[in-house]
Amino acid sequence: MPHLLRPQVYVPAGALAVLVILPHLLPNVFYIHILIMMFLFAALGGAWNLLGGYGGQLSLGNAAFFGVGAYASTLLVNFYNLSPWIGMLLGAMVAMLLSVLVGAICFRLRGAYFAIATIGLAEVLRLAAHHFRDLTYGAQGITVPFKGSAPLYFQFASKIPYYYIALLFMLGVILLTRRLERSRLGNYLVAIGQNQEAAEALGINSAWAKQQANFLMALITAFGGTFYAQYIYFIDPPSAFGLGLSIQIALVAIVGGVATVMGPVLGAVIMESLIQFTQIAFAGTSYGLELIVYGALLVVMILLRPTGLIGWVSQGYGAMLRNLPGGGLVEGVER
Amino acid sequence: MQWTTIAQAVMTGILMGSIYALVAIGLTLIFGVVRIVNFAQGEFLMVGMYISYWLWRLFGLDPYLSLLITMPAMFLFGVLVYGVFFRRVIGAPDLAQIFLTVGLSIVLMNLALFFFTADFRSIRTPYGDLTVNLGGVILSVPRLLAFAGALLFGLLLYLFLWGTNTGKALRAVAQDREVAMLLGINPERMYWLAVGLGGALAGGAGALLLPFFYVFPTVGVTFVLIAFVVVIFGTLGNIKGAFLAAFIVGVAESLGILFAGGDMGLIVVFVILVLVLAFKPSGLMGA
Repeated sequence: MPHLLRPQVYVPAGALAVLVILPHLLPNVFYIHILIMMFLFAALGGAWNLLGGYGGQLSLGNAAFFGVGAYASTLLVNFYNLSPWIGMLLGAMVAMLLSVLVGAICFRLRGAYFAIATIGLAEVLRLAAHHFRDLTYGAQGITVPFKGSAPLYFQFASKIPYYYIALLFMLGVILLTRRLERSRLGNYLVAIGQNQEAAEALGINSAWAKQQANFLMALITAFGGTFYAQYIYFIDPPSAFGLGLSIQIALVAIVGGVATVMGPVLGAVIMESLIQFTQIAFAGTSYGLELIVYGALLVVMILLRPTGLIGWVSQGYGAMLRNLPGGGLVEGVER
Repeated sequence: MQWTTIAQAVMTGILMGSIYALVAIGLTLIFGVVRIVNFAQGEFLMVGMYISYWLWRLFGLDPYLSLLITMPAMFLFGVLVYGVFFRRVIGAPDLAQIFLTVGLSIVLMNLALFFFTADFRSIRTPYGDLTVNLGGVILSVPRLLAFAGALLFGLLLYLFLWGTNTGKALRAVAQDREVAMLLGINPERMYWLAVGLGGALAGGAGALLLPFFYVFPTVGVTFVLIAFVVVIFGTLGNIKGAFLAAFIVGVAESLGILFAGGDMGLIVVFVILVLVLAFKPSGLMGA
């Protein structure tokens, strides 16, 4: 197995091994929680990246899909005692149907129009979740019924199973993005993102390509919503359908670097550590500070480095690989 | 249901529509001239409200008098935002333009949270609870004054844009930047002027709103979302369209609340947005 000796293989494999062992080494469940949130947002940002990054369609309404996944699984377990594992699949189906509606209305629109249209659709769902109290308990929110240690009901006694589920979820999105990047659909999306007229002149069916990415985005984001609701045990209209969540999902991809496989992962690591650690550092003494830093980071990035931070990281990573044992052999073979 | 109840809702909607008009005209003016959709326009309103609030709180200045300070201050604020931020993303890809202003909105909102806390603040004025009764329709005096103020600012803006050379130059840049430059207009000057005016209008809306509305760090969010609906409904970049659409949206929201309950007003507004985008994305004034 000569290629096991290549750093392109053993470095990611080693990193993965560390991530697998890590929850058993961490001294405090709080760190496990931060990692879970990082994995979740890496997956959500990765889903946004499929249509927003590669396809250039900047959605600010992904909370719509997230909320559908969160509410569907929670309402079904609440009213029909249906396992959230099944609720997750049903929620994802509803989200994919919703994505057809989103596509039908929004795919003719460009740029800010598209973003505003997606905000509007997500806001309608948020307000509906607020209004239909008999079903959703409105602003009060819903608590997931506690069943103790019940893996069939997506409930576990410790954070570690949630950690592995979130890790697998993120890895799934990374692998999917890698595949998409090398596929015909991925190339179509990049062409559409750069210049839709030119792409269509070359015979690309832009509506079809965007809807394929939209399906994937809806599916993954709804899964994320189900995971979040079952992990936190509580949802309400702003946490499931809010504009703040939609913005956060997009920012993860943008800060890391759009239209790259690992950009959203980097973005999630930066944004989540920023939010979680500033929250501890200033707990109770001040409010809004972490979001000031977060917004300022976004502004500075857009002005100084609009392609995201991943460029620097991957340069450093490439240099590291070349200097590791076995690295010189493959120089120039892979990018 | 009595006709006065409906008339009451329609009038309330029209009066609130005047505030939406001021925010939306600023948004559409900035878009028309600079070609940037300002996601931080709601925070411009929020900053304007806090300026007037603190002028009242610290110096006892009446909010209507504070317009004389708040509007020029917000004009300068707009010019500053243009010079430091917007100027660098003119002609940049959508992603940079949208998320620059989203980032600004996050920073402004949370600076307000940091300095002023999440408290809902309101002011007390001798006329705050006054009402007038027009044949059974009861209207609050501060809302009527806001309406009058908004009409006045709308008229002044109209006279400026259609009656002065600078105003005509501004509209020329909005219509066609290259031709305007050929005519000797410096677009840079028009850009900062447009963002300044957008800031002043949002500040004016904030001061007019203050006597009958709470101020808090996220107060701008609802207003900017409604303003998005208004500017798209009224054709993005079209000032007269935004003015008209603001009143339609205000009345639709108010009737939604009357017939379907408190949180349905906004649903009606967003359904209007979705319908406009689905069937006539170019809006009321669009070709």
